[in-house]
Amino acid sequence: MSRRLTLKDLVLVAVLGTVLGFLYWALVQAWTALSVLMGPAGDLAQHLLLGGWLLVAPIAVAIVRKPFVGIIAEVLASVIEVVFLGSAVGPLLIVAAAIQGAGSELPFALTRYRRFGWWVYGLSGLCGAGLVFFYSAFRSGWYGQDLFLLRLVMQLVSGVVLGGLLAKIIVDGLARTGVVDNFAIGRVLSRRE
Amino acid sequence: MTVADSPLARRNPTVKFGLLVVVSLALLFVFEPLTPAVLYVVALLAVAAGSGIRPRLLLLGHLPFVGVAVGLLLVNALSRPGIEIARLGLLRVTEEGVEVGAALGLRTLVIGVLALGFVASTDGVRLMTSLHQHARLGLRFTYAVLAGYRTLEELPREWQLIRHAHAVRARPGARGGPLGGVRAFARAGFALLVVSLRRGERLAMALESRGLGLAPRTIWRPVALTGTDAVFAAASLVVLAAVFALTLPR
Amino acid sequence: MALVSMRQVAVAFPRRRAGVLNGITLDIAPHERVLVIGGSGSGKSTLLQLVSGVIPHSVTAEVEGTVTVAGVDTGATSVVELSRIVAVLAQDPASGICLPTVEEEIALPMENRGVDPAVIPARIDAALEAAGVTRLRTRRTTQLSGGEGQRVALAAALAAEPALLLLDEPTSMLDSAGVSAVRDAIAASVARYSPAVILVEHRLDEFAGRAGLAALPERTIVLGADGTLAADGPTGEVLAEHARALTASGCWLPIGNELDAVFGGVGGLDSPVVRAGLLALGRPSPRGEPEGAPGPTEAPRPARSPTLLAATHLAVSRTRTARRTRAPHTPVLSGVDLDLRAGQVVALLGANGSGKSTLLLTLAGLLPATAGTVVGERPGMVFQNPEHQFVAHTVSGEVGYGLPPGSDALVARLLDDHGLGHLADQSPHRLSGGEKRRVSLAAMLAHGRGTLLADEPTFGLDRRATIGVIGALRGAAREGAAVMFSSHDLRTVATLADRAVVVAHGRVVANGPVFHVLRDESVLAEAHLALPPLIRWLLENVDSDAGVLRVLRALDSEVAVPAAAS
Repeated sequence: MSRRLTLKDLVLVAVLGTVLGFLYWALVQAWTALSVLMGPAGDLAQHLLLGGWLLVAPIAVAIVRKPFVGIIAEVLASVIEVVFLGSAVGPLLIVAAAIQGAGSELPFALTRYRRFGWWVYGLSGLCGAGLVFFYSAFRSGWYGQDLFLLRLVMQLVSGVVLGGLLAKIIVDGLARTGVVDNFAIGRVLSRRE
Repeated sequence: MTVADSPLARRNPTVKFGLLVVVSLALLFVFEPLTPAVLYVVALLAVAAGSGIRPRLLLLGHLPFVGVAVGLLLVNALSRPGIEIARLGLLRVTEEGVEVGAALGLRTLVIGVLALGFVASTDGVRLMTSLHQHARLGLRFTYAVLAGYRTLEELPREWQLIRHAHAVRARPGARGGPLGGVRAFARAGFALLVVSLRRGERLAMALESRGLGLAPRTIWRPVALTGTDAVFAAASLVVLAAVFALTLPR
Repeated sequence: MALVSMRQVAVAFPRRRAGVLNGITLDIAPHERVLVIGGSGSGKSTLLQLVSGVIPHSVTAEVEGTVTVAGVDTGATSVVELSRIVAVLAQDPASGICLPTVEEEIALPMENRGVDPAVIPARIDAALEAAGVTRLRTRRTTQLSGGEGQRVALAAALAAEPALLLLDEPTSMLDSAGVSAVRDAIAASVARYSPAVILVEHRLDEFAGRAGLAALPERTIVLGADGTLAADGPTGEVLAEHARALTASGCWLPIGNELDAVFGGVGGLDSPVVRAGLLALGRPSPRGEPEGAPGPTEAPRPARSPTLLAATHLAVSRTRTARRTRAPHTPVLSGVDLDLRAGQVVALLGANGSGKSTLLLTLAGLLPATAGTVVGERPGMVFQNPEHQFVAHTVSGEVGYGLPPGSDALVARLLDDHGLGHLADQSPHRLSGGEKRRVSLAAMLAHGRGTLLADEPTFGLDRRATIGVIGALRGAAREGAAVMFSSHDLRTVATLADRAVVVAHGRVVANGPVFHVLRDESVLAEAHLALPPLIRWLLENVDSDAGVLRVLRALDSEVAVPAAAS
């Protein structure tokens, strides 16, 4: 099977990112506590929610199972955010997204896109959150702060739980519904049956 | 979104985007407040004059990131080691903290207002076309983004429908209307994901059946890249360099 | 040379044991027009996907045999390359359109083929004109209705002047106004561009409309339930010969063919044999009424059964924020007075956009009323797209959702009643359209709520599934529920409903026994509703309303319905 990303793969991944981004926004809208937090105290709350941003990459990788799809998934989602929704973070959001994607994809790449147990997902969340942490730390000047360690821990935990384990739950759920049967994941699963 | 005509709207989208990237990168290395403060004023004036946004909307558009900017100031002011200048109970405010916090907060304001101006004066489809034309962005990538945007346009309606559809199945005794609770949100979110992915697959099939990927290819309404764009880019870069030169400490 | 050529083609999908297509051999000539019909699951869409290359390139399947399009083997050529020859119009209006404005959408296929930008505007105009939607040129695609969307997609498909046009159930997700608009657009566009056409359509009764056979392609291919070629010949002959089998397997045939098959006449409603047969069915049977068929004018129940949901002076608006906006605005419907009584089925009729869905949502308590009140226990509601309502991972989980613990027996009984027993552990998203609808109905009935609302419950279903839904709703009413459903299918309305409420121009224009309302020409005209020829003839010639109902029910019983609720 070709390792090139087809239009179908890219559209799937773009739609995935769009829906997850929309749900993230809907969540923030719906939970006023969170939106208050996103304001002045949002600076810290962002670490808890970062895991949500990481979701796209592992899900994309698990469905499409081709190299670089995780990075591209994150980048596509961030492009839509910057270009169509005017994200106040600006184009550097795309840089952050690419770094997140790279970190998240790494464990899957190292296991040759064949292992999809809980531990790979967890590791994916850890690496994605960790890698982007250091980029953001530089960009937002966290190094000089007393809170550095707290930030790091919050981010890593969120990464593992929200960006890793939750991703596996979603992937398994999607596979059951049959909506991703025509992608790599569908082919692999049907061979097993 | 149909974009109103304005001086900025007539500029090439890739050039505008490129400038936004340059400003973002330049500010990445700045941790003192004077440079971003001056840049913010310049940016605000440029956006107000060049993009044709009404003042009220311009002000409202600040809301999403003003909170973030204030937050950055607060967190940094209270959590950086350094020379103490004030005390609020157990929390100490430091000089370095205020300086860095102000810098980061102002940086957020600069990027925020520029992004606002960008979105108000740029049609997303034109931008993608322009990136494809001038920045050599791949065709499949370009249309995948457009497919994502197309999906996005339908999402609020679908989301509302799904929330209603789930609410009606709740145990009797609960009031009507969308349910609270994380689990209800998660179920609705999953349903939205399934429906959207199915639709996305069909969208990709439609794009392929329209021949996306055949070569050679023409563009019906190419985005122009003119001399004015070059002047605009050069002038903007000159202003940026001037601000940096004048405000950065020697 | 044949444009499309298939030799001994067989297709099997990974998860299903039986093949979907078997031993298909056929040729289609350039400019030829072919209709493909068959029961649901017989492989009609699969056939189209073979021609466009989607199978095997996008959809995983095992393919045997050869498929050649314009001399090119589809197995070895990508979908994109094949799109030079083949264009597709698919079912879902929303996912057939990719770009934000109509003119960009129509320009896209031409851009892809390297057409000179200078001639593109003229060709956009020509394509829009052929599809009858010139006025939509600068419209944003999210604002298009279903019928408009399909016409734009048609224009986009034909703008590049392909040699072959595939139509995959293009009208199945549209209301009756959309169906006739799209049908006419297809006829006009095909006449102008003259590609070869392969049409898969299951609602042949609506598609054929008044023109009958003349509106259908000249040649028809019938696919059998086992995926083999059951017939291939001139449309008139094939339909006449196979009408009985096709009706039994759930296809909607042009009304003339259906009646000819049942009564053995020729010429549909014009044939004396058919007319005599219909009148005979309308007379009360000497053996007494079949169980479960009380007519609208007979009253085995007390005339005044309890009102379970009442709306008084109700005004409804589309958005929740309607009350909060300061600007005065007109509600989409106002002055609505409704009584939903136990055991009665009420049909809600009206043109697209007249506020039926909004009314149902307000009655269900999901939208706040702008004025007036709704009194009664909170109703259950079944939505148009069953997938929107699914919350569980298995069918039995779906039906049991929200029930108190220990309801396993109830769930099992409901699954059996609705013919879902064998699907209990499957994901609801994997089921066919008809099965999904049965699941969402069963899940709502499980709650045993007094009132049941349904938004277009027979939308997109084949005949067999439609009859199943009619049976399920009738059954719910017999068990004491008050049922209200909206529909644009007047035949289903005549067969199922006791009363009808018609909305148009922001208010209720009729509210009475269903056959009264259907006989009122002015009301139907106001609501842009057109009576199907069969219903019109029956209303004019059968003396009692109960008789009309008897005929309709008898015709439905000709369809073999698998063990479902009756």
